[in-house]
Amino acid sequence: MPLRGKPTTEAEKIVFRHEAELPPMTRSMGTVLINKTGSWRYLRPVYEEKTPPCRDACPAGIDIQGFVDMLARGEPLEAWRLIRESSPLPGVCGRVCPHPCERSCNRGEFDEAISIHALERLAADRALNEGVGEEPRAPKEEERVAIIGSGPAGLSCAHFLGREGYGVTVFEALPRPGGMLRVGIPEYRLPRTVLDKEIADIEALGVSFQTGARIGDIGELADYDAIFVATGAHKSRSLNIPGEDAAGVIPGVEFLKNLNLGGKNQAGERVLVVGGGNTAIDAARSALRLGARTTIVYRRTREEMPAIEEEIEAALAEGVDILYLATPRMALVKDGRVAQVGLIKTELAEPDETGRRRPVEVAGSEFMIEADTVITALGEAPDLSFLPEHAGLSEEPREIDGTPVFGGGDAFTGAGTVVHAIASGRRGARAIISRLAGAGVAHEPPGPVVPFESVNTACFARQPAVRMPEVPVAERVSGFAEVNRGLPLTDGLEEAKRCFSCGVCNLCDNCLIFCPDIAVIRLNDSYEIDYDYCKGCGICAVECPGNVISLVEEER
Amino acid sequence: MKKVITGNHAVSYGAMLARAQVIAAYPITPQTTIVEHLADFTADGQLDARFINVESEHSAMAASVGASAAGARAFTASSSHGLALMHEMLHVAAGSRLPIVMANVNRALGTNWNLWADQTDSLSQRDTGWLQFYCESNQEALDTVIQAYRVSEQVLVPSMICLDAFFISHTAEIVDIPDKALVDSYLPECNLVYRLDPANPCTLYGVTSAEFYYEFRYKLHKAMEDAIRVAREADDEFREMFGRSYGLVEQYRMEDAELVLVTSGTAASTSRLVIDELRERGERVGMLRIRMFRPFPAEEIRNALRGAQRVAVMDRNMSPGQGGIMAQELRSALCNTPDRPPVYGFVVGLGGRDITTDVVHRVIEEALATDIPEDIIWMGVKV
Repeated sequence: MPLRGKPTTEAEKIVFRHEAELPPMTRSMGTVLINKTGSWRYLRPVYEEKTPPCRDACPAGIDIQGFVDMLARGEPLEAWRLIRESSPLPGVCGRVCPHPCERSCNRGEFDEAISIHALERLAADRALNEGVGEEPRAPKEEERVAIIGSGPAGLSCAHFLGREGYGVTVFEALPRPGGMLRVGIPEYRLPRTVLDKEIADIEALGVSFQTGARIGDIGELADYDAIFVATGAHKSRSLNIPGEDAAGVIPGVEFLKNLNLGGKNQAGERVLVVGGGNTAIDAARSALRLGARTTIVYRRTREEMPAIEEEIEAALAEGVDILYLATPRMALVKDGRVAQVGLIKTELAEPDETGRRRPVEVAGSEFMIEADTVITALGEAPDLSFLPEHAGLSEEPREIDGTPVFGGGDAFTGAGTVVHAIASGRRGARAIISRLAGAGVAHEPPGPVVPFESVNTACFARQPAVRMPEVPVAERVSGFAEVNRGLPLTDGLEEAKRCFSCGVCNLCDNCLIFCPDIAVIRLNDSYEIDYDYCKGCGICAVECPGNVISLVEEER
Repeated sequence: MKKVITGNHAVSYGAMLARAQVIAAYPITPQTTIVEHLADFTADGQLDARFINVESEHSAMAASVGASAAGARAFTASSSHGLALMHEMLHVAAGSRLPIVMANVNRALGTNWNLWADQTDSLSQRDTGWLQFYCESNQEALDTVIQAYRVSEQVLVPSMICLDAFFISHTAEIVDIPDKALVDSYLPECNLVYRLDPANPCTLYGVTSAEFYYEFRYKLHKAMEDAIRVAREADDEFREMFGRSYGLVEQYRMEDAELVLVTSGTAASTSRLVIDELRERGERVGMLRIRMFRPFPAEEIRNALRGAQRVAVMDRNMSPGQGGIMAQELRSALCNTPDRPPVYGFVVGLGGRDITTDVVHRVIEEALATDIPEDIIWMGVKV
């Protein structure tokens, strides 16, 4: 670069001889660009995007910061599209996911975590309400994949295979697709219009569903090039107490299935639910809506309850009683139906292998409770009887009669959450594509996670989170209408603006504004550092709100 | 338009009428209402300026330097400790030859903590290279802001307008607020030749070796000398256009005066009453009010004092170990003059203590009663 004002001849050189020739203050018309102060630098700032803790905590690895940013920019449909890169069920997860992302959100240490859960639902609901869905298309690959089970794992696997153009057939034993999403989760948490819409989006990818098609033997699917087994966990663990076989004692998943699929009311007047997980809460809140007086009995305390916190709160608010530190010993049967349950008090001893404190019975503390219905929710186990004996199930392919078989979801992992199943289905799809295409699928290793201490909180004003409004208790317990109302759009867009954007540049210009050497250059959708003049002072890294800029030592 | 306003608001009006373009300020009692009012003017659109809230007075002056270097008309105000914190930047502003105008409300420095009138704050900055004006009234405060821009922008030296805490800053009196168009015709747009301009890049205020540092200091002093002529012309033209003028020093009933009382700021108003009273009794006393302190109008003062037998200086300030600062300056201006009168250096009114007519009477009596003065005469100290 030519030096501006540099004299080219001796005559042009300015030589001051006395004060009258001087300007009033020192002034140079030469450029300072000749002084490449970048040579002073021993630390080099680099733009290095990192993993936001929300995304790190999401089992499905949803680009949460990304979709929240799109909401903040007023683009809910773009947010919906981005979520679907990682999960085909944003409307479902925006309602039933236990949202571990919010517990990891760095903003939680500043004021309140971003309402990510509510924002995911908002994006999905906008797509639903505006009639935006997947464009129909036909498979383009020759290979065909069979998926057994249409729960979240099966749906997720079908979605990611369908997007890549594979022909997919999903086999479902029940008359409608959706698995536990349809038969296990009550309608007041997940309206079926939402589920149907998201299944329709998967169908649009050329995925076909065969319902009422129970696979008795996996050999029936020998024509397919690969099989994904996602049959879930529907077999309830039993109580192992006398009287358990009497009428009125029902496994929780069966109670919910009969209610959700056939509208069958198996709740009597006085219902006792045994267990502390989400199935127990779902069964109890459903029984309450059917008009029963409902009590949950759990052998540990509220602290150890595995159910989603908000669900426990809602159950209590609606009038479900929870009896902690007690466990059933026997069911007293009268006229062939359970009439009373004998319980014994428990206390907590040292932690067991799950890390939770083990309940032990307190001798002599037996008591009776009236109940004409006992719903057991002690956990579910998979039923893999359609597989050859000792075949086992794994995310790694197993050859059965020459066909690679992959496992996923609860059938493989034991009972988990919807979002774990979605993640598992996506891994399954990736493994199947890798097998069928004969090539590995690139998998980016996640960058380091941004800790709260690295966020420049001086850039943010404290502002409480926006929460989803709920239907008042008195109104909601009389039916199965959805309890949570979604966020109004304007509230949601405001909520999205609270995001720290941890580890991801959102073009806030702080680096540009604060650089004392004017060494940060703004490009269209990123920045560049002019290392000829960057002295490595590190102000950009300190001022970056989301810890996107790292300082690395210069190599000499 | 005439309004009853405080001296601080008079200053705000001055800066507004001068069309200050950048105001960077930090609050301090008793200055705050100056910039508060300017913030109002800026907010309601009466003044088209950028108001910068800064985190300290040092930054206030640094921001003013930046604004002025970019060619904007910059204004700020401070007082006492705030001014002391600016000290480094005062040198920078003057050395950079930036025509910034600042109001300083004269307040005592701690410790011991004190909020009241005392000129030691601004007089401590006398060697920073700023023009200094000491005002007697609210009207003069307003008018001097406008005059100061005119002088500063011609000689490229910044100006400090000093006003007594509370006696001016918080006391309301009738002020004639000049017509905006008339001020515009008196004070042309700020058009600095040497400034930062992206279209014509340059580096200002770089390192200067001994080879030319000396010359730059010499030029600053020459600009100060030039300011005496320019300020006089500016004051004369102001009188023609607005009907008011103040001079660099003001002579009051000096004809045949044997004893001249030298004063500054609001003490001059009180002194005027005493002079009138003594003149009525036939005493040959007069008063010289120092309005411009930097540059020190030595020649004008020497001429004014020609014929005086005794000079009594009232200093509302004090340099510990030496005494009243104006008295020192006056002695230094007279010392090479043949037949110079003795200078009586009275220290009065420190930390806001009232300078009443009674105090002025005693000053004059003391000066008349003593033939050879002490270096410092403490008036009213409780010993």
